[in-house]
Amino acid sequence: MTAPAPAGFGHRRRERTRASLFVQGEPLIWIMGGGLVIAIAMIAGLLGLIADAGFSTFVPRPVARIRTAAGKVLMGEIERTEERPGGAGGRRLVRVGNFELTGEHFVWVDEAQIVAEDRPSRALVVERQEWGRFYGEPVGFLIAGAPAAAGPDEAWRLYLKHHGEVRDRWNVRRRIETKDVGAVNRRVERARLVLRDAERTGGTGSATHEAAKLRFAAVEAGVMREFERLRSEIQELNKANRKYQLVLRTADGIEKEIALAEIVRAYPANDLSFASRSRIYLDRWREFLFDEPREANSEGGVFPAIFGTVIMTLVMSVVVVPFGVMAALYLREYARSGAVVSAVRISINNLAGVPSIVFGVFGLGFFCYFMGTSIDQLFFAANLPNPTFGKGGVLWASLTLSLLTLPVVIVATEEALSAVPNSLREGSYACGASKWQTIRRIVLPRAMPGIMTGMILAMARGAGEVAPLMLVGAVKLAPELPLDTIPPFVHAQRSFMHLGFHIYDLGFQSQNSEAAKPMVFTTTLLLIAVVFLLNVIAVRLRTRLRRRFESEKF
Amino acid sequence: MRALDVVSRWVITVGGIGTVVAVSTVFLLLLWVVFPLLLPARASRPGRLAAEGVARALRVGVDDYRSIVWLLRADGTLAARSFDSGALLEQRRLFPGRTISAAAFSAGGTAVALGFADGSVALGSIGFRTSFVDDDAAAPALRRIAAGARAIEGAAVVQRISPTQLRLQQLDVAFEEPVAGASTAPVLLLDRSGAGDAGSYAEVHADGAFQIVRLTRRENMLTGEIATSRTPTALPNPLTPGEPAPGWLLLSDSGDSALLAWKDGRGSRYLLRDAASAPVVEAVALLEDRGRALTAVSWLLGRTTVLAGDSAGGIGAWFPSRLTPDSPPLLVRAHFFEGAGSPVTTIDSSSRSRVLIAGFADGTLDVRHVTSHKLLAHLTAAAVGAVEAAALSPKDDGVVALAGGGIAHWAFDPGHPETSPRALFLPIWYEGAPGPEHVWQSSAATDDFEPKLGLIPLIFGTLKATVYSLVFGVPIALLAAIFTSEFLSPRLRGKIKPVVELMASLPSVVLGFLAALVIAPFVAARLADFLALIIVGPVVFLAGAYLWQLIPYRLTLRFERWRFPAMFLAIPAALLAARTLGPVLERFCFSGDIMHWLAGGGGPAGGWAYLLVAPAGLAVILLLARFVNPRLNEASRRWTRARCAWIELGKFAGSLVVAVAVAAAVGGALALLGLDPRGPLLGTYVQRNSLVVGFVMGFAIIPIIYTIAEDALAAVPDHLRSASLASGATPWQTAWRIVIPTAMSGLFSAVMIGFGRAVGETMIVLMAAGNTPILEWNIFNGFRTLSANIAVELPEAVRNSTHYRTLFLAALVLFVMTFVLNTCAEIVRIRFRKKAMEL
Repeated sequence: MTAPAPAGFGHRRRERTRASLFVQGEPLIWIMGGGLVIAIAMIAGLLGLIADAGFSTFVPRPVARIRTAAGKVLMGEIERTEERPGGAGGRRLVRVGNFELTGEHFVWVDEAQIVAEDRPSRALVVERQEWGRFYGEPVGFLIAGAPAAAGPDEAWRLYLKHHGEVRDRWNVRRRIETKDVGAVNRRVERARLVLRDAERTGGTGSATHEAAKLRFAAVEAGVMREFERLRSEIQELNKANRKYQLVLRTADGIEKEIALAEIVRAYPANDLSFASRSRIYLDRWREFLFDEPREANSEGGVFPAIFGTVIMTLVMSVVVVPFGVMAALYLREYARSGAVVSAVRISINNLAGVPSIVFGVFGLGFFCYFMGTSIDQLFFAANLPNPTFGKGGVLWASLTLSLLTLPVVIVATEEALSAVPNSLREGSYACGASKWQTIRRIVLPRAMPGIMTGMILAMARGAGEVAPLMLVGAVKLAPELPLDTIPPFVHAQRSFMHLGFHIYDLGFQSQNSEAAKPMVFTTTLLLIAVVFLLNVIAVRLRTRLRRRFESEKF
Repeated sequence: MRALDVVSRWVITVGGIGTVVAVSTVFLLLLWVVFPLLLPARASRPGRLAAEGVARALRVGVDDYRSIVWLLRADGTLAARSFDSGALLEQRRLFPGRTISAAAFSAGGTAVALGFADGSVALGSIGFRTSFVDDDAAAPALRRIAAGARAIEGAAVVQRISPTQLRLQQLDVAFEEPVAGASTAPVLLLDRSGAGDAGSYAEVHADGAFQIVRLTRRENMLTGEIATSRTPTALPNPLTPGEPAPGWLLLSDSGDSALLAWKDGRGSRYLLRDAASAPVVEAVALLEDRGRALTAVSWLLGRTTVLAGDSAGGIGAWFPSRLTPDSPPLLVRAHFFEGAGSPVTTIDSSSRSRVLIAGFADGTLDVRHVTSHKLLAHLTAAAVGAVEAAALSPKDDGVVALAGGGIAHWAFDPGHPETSPRALFLPIWYEGAPGPEHVWQSSAATDDFEPKLGLIPLIFGTLKATVYSLVFGVPIALLAAIFTSEFLSPRLRGKIKPVVELMASLPSVVLGFLAALVIAPFVAARLADFLALIIVGPVVFLAGAYLWQLIPYRLTLRFERWRFPAMFLAIPAALLAARTLGPVLERFCFSGDIMHWLAGGGGPAGGWAYLLVAPAGLAVILLLARFVNPRLNEASRRWTRARCAWIELGKFAGSLVVAVAVAAAVGGALALLGLDPRGPLLGTYVQRNSLVVGFVMGFAIIPIIYTIAEDALAAVPDHLRSASLASGATPWQTAWRIVIPTAMSGLFSAVMIGFGRAVGETMIVLMAAGNTPILEWNIFNGFRTLSANIAVELPEAVRNSTHYRTLFLAALVLFVMTFVLNTCAEIVRIRFRKKAMEL
């Protein structure tokens, strides 16, 4: 299909020196070029904007102290400065934090109102587990309620000394809370389901029901003891952690103690060397990529979303590739070409254009409600009316997206199959190979890069798709991953987090949208990076494939 | 080996065909879910019970489980019968010493008021008492009841509902002691609203005493006793001596208005604005046809719509509506259902939906949804004799009617009464609206809210999004594709095309988020600059071209390869120019403040001028091409190239001035004529609007259109180009006269596919369009598309509800729209390919 443009217009033009300027259509060529230039500029601007905002989010910014004409003193990071409409001068958005004291995360300050501004060298940015950031200067350090530091510097030194161990204890506590307590809860739940099953099948008062009742009581008693033990363990850790507190003074002079266990990260923003800046920057990226979200998803990491996206995409490709390849093999190698096959081909091409939300509607109606409820009634009746599979989940999402991406795989595979020269097939037959042997040994290996291209393109499409997922299982917060160390390890019915849905949720549904904004940009950057990477690999594969076959043609 | 071959053939054939079939299930499943919307309502399992007594029937009722039917007659006898066998469960006489002269019931019959011949009024309820008994505690006879079966135990109907539980259902009647009314003359008419001790009732006595009594519950703090206090409001005597008395009295839900209706169709509406001021009396007409008489009048659910049945079987639905925004609400007949000719004898409303049940003198019954006009059932209750009373069961799953001396009953499945092709796609007159309109409003905070499921606003929103994004996206994509294919070196083309294609894979959620959080606020803050850019952009590129022509001919060839990079300079130039011209534009065209101007402030002349600049520019270009260029062409043979270039530049500058002047002049003229551009296309600014969506969705469709269009242009055989160039045509002439016409169908299919993509796009419109379902082309306002609507509402829709199925219908509409578009595009594309191959 590709036709090289006629090269060397220039040479020809040299011979037409007398051609009028009016017929060269320079203005219209410029208008056309304008279209391309605008398209490219838009793409570049968009990617540049996202890259700029995404990469700069985690750079530690200096903390400014601002005194306004009204006598108020604010301290915080300056998010951005903008012109007020109608030429009323500039204004700055200051992230003042200290939400429990001020009731605000962000404050707009008119530049005209600022009378003094400086950057106190001791000012700390404290990222906390809850309530957002805190800005203040260290004034003391408490150990078990008694002041332990003589001055701000010593307080900071003590903070650095103790923070690591306190956070370690905090992590141990969190592990107990999520893992061990969860395991105990699951034991009770399992016993309850056995009891329910006995009641359902045998009826109340039957022998099996009575026996199940006794067993349940025994499990419950054991569990209560276990709970007690875990609770005391947690209390122990909490007690050890509660001893350490950092005292901070805010810009308007209020002193506030913050437990070290609550502090995720603290740093003197105006007194950072390049090395420590980079350390904080990289540490934030680490947190972003490998930790769980906190503060209604506006802080912390997106690990569950990355994990959910990856799992869903993998399951999707495991389903879509065999079926897509089979359909393509059928259409290209087995079916006799005719009106039916070309109609099928048209409709497959068409399906690529069916809106993704329609597939979501189908997934909800067919997978979640039709198949899911049937499975529930057959295998999870004890849990009813709570649905197990009869709601959105990672399996249903994967299946929905595999339908959505099926045309991509079919078209790519067909293209690859048709690129295998017929002479190869004929040669194989001539050597006495059967049809399947020819396909298996000759055609498929040569079409493999093409099939891979199709798979990768499908993965890229699937990873970036959001609309259908909103209907079939993506949620804003899923504490349990669809794949974990708890038997049966694979939890295909669980809802999951997804990078794209995370962007929608943060950008559109978040209450504190200003605080969530940086997070949206980094998540966007991550998603675009994944999708583009997959696409670039696919395009590379395709070019290599084309080149190889061009040389292989007889 | 053979076996393997056969197996593989089978597996691949089955798998391949299966996959293709699986894909077509998408369409089938949507149809399967939507189909019940079109199914008619069904009345089945007819039955007939005996009903002794001769006194006029006041009311017939049935319980939630359709196990008991009760019938109240004017002589005060209340009989309850088993729904299945007709066996008499209990019979009693209400207020034996008194004569009932008027009665009023809430929809469904639970709250009751009875008026007596001595002028007193008794309030009460006729309901049902449900109790559950465990098997262990039940009598031995009851334990033997099979699952689902019913038995009679005393006055109660017992039904097994689980292996271990039984349900007892029995009539529960409670009345307060009668209270003296406004006079001792017999109560002529009575109506009550609300239930229990709260609410109000209205009474008209035979001597003309007329009052509304408001009930308030007050709990005594010390004793815990609940006292009901009555606050009467006297109304003027409605009776005129010598004329017939009114036949019906209807009291509104809040008790602040009452309606009296006479047999001849006259009516009076009494409005109590507040307790202190005198009531306003308003004459109304409840019949539009003079030859008829009113025969039955009743409220519809919600007590806002009056149902008036006439002597020819017609039923009108009347409600107060402001026909223009400033006029007071007047009673209008919004719906009218013509009957078969037999007079209406009784009308009642469902207690859960806007369904009415009407009985006729010929013994037939109509069950009909008022808003959608859908006739749900036409039943014959008795071959001889009029229908005296009729009711729907509380869950709308049964119909009972007293006719011909017996009680006829049916099991009833209303289906989805509120939807019909008419209700989904045509304007519907909803209660309180000034007229029929297209509305999508699927849910609201209040309980008696009627879902409005008109798909037209959503389809309109989808088209609006598509049109605005195509207006922006198609020119850029096509121009870029033509330039890439015809004027770019193959090396650059190989680099640029994959980059644009990569954009096609950009997740739309990213675009949506950028549109909503970055671009929308930016455009709102710099709207004038943005509007200036739309005009200035092309002008700057044209100016670039004319300046480029000034380069001496010797250098042109050397600079040829710098032409494309030089075009990029136009972008900052255009931005700078827009920034500079924005405030000027705002000052001269939009009276200094564009937001204020859009909201209706300032004069229209400037706005006209802005809108007309582009058409004026085009007109000037066309006129030049038609009348001036041929002559210039002729003359230019003797000129040097430099002279031509300068003349061109002058021509360009001149036409620019002319275009602006013409636009200003015509704009001024239109303003003098009193025309205003603010209306259909321009209007009040909303931050999330079509301009932003069009711009961002352009992003999403440009790569697709570009790729397909570029492929189509590349498929034009090279020998056509070579022949054209060899005949002395310039590259521009070759592109314009040879390549583009040949590739036209391919370009068309590219646009169609872009259209299809824009129709189904979800995330961008969901996040950036504001999602208000309105019918307005205003580019500065939002909209709600089918796809965004599905994404927003489907997660919350109850499975298999009307709403759920309507959303599936929306998906089906979307599916069909894109399928048709894509199939057209595909067929055109295949044709084009064939043609291109032949050339």
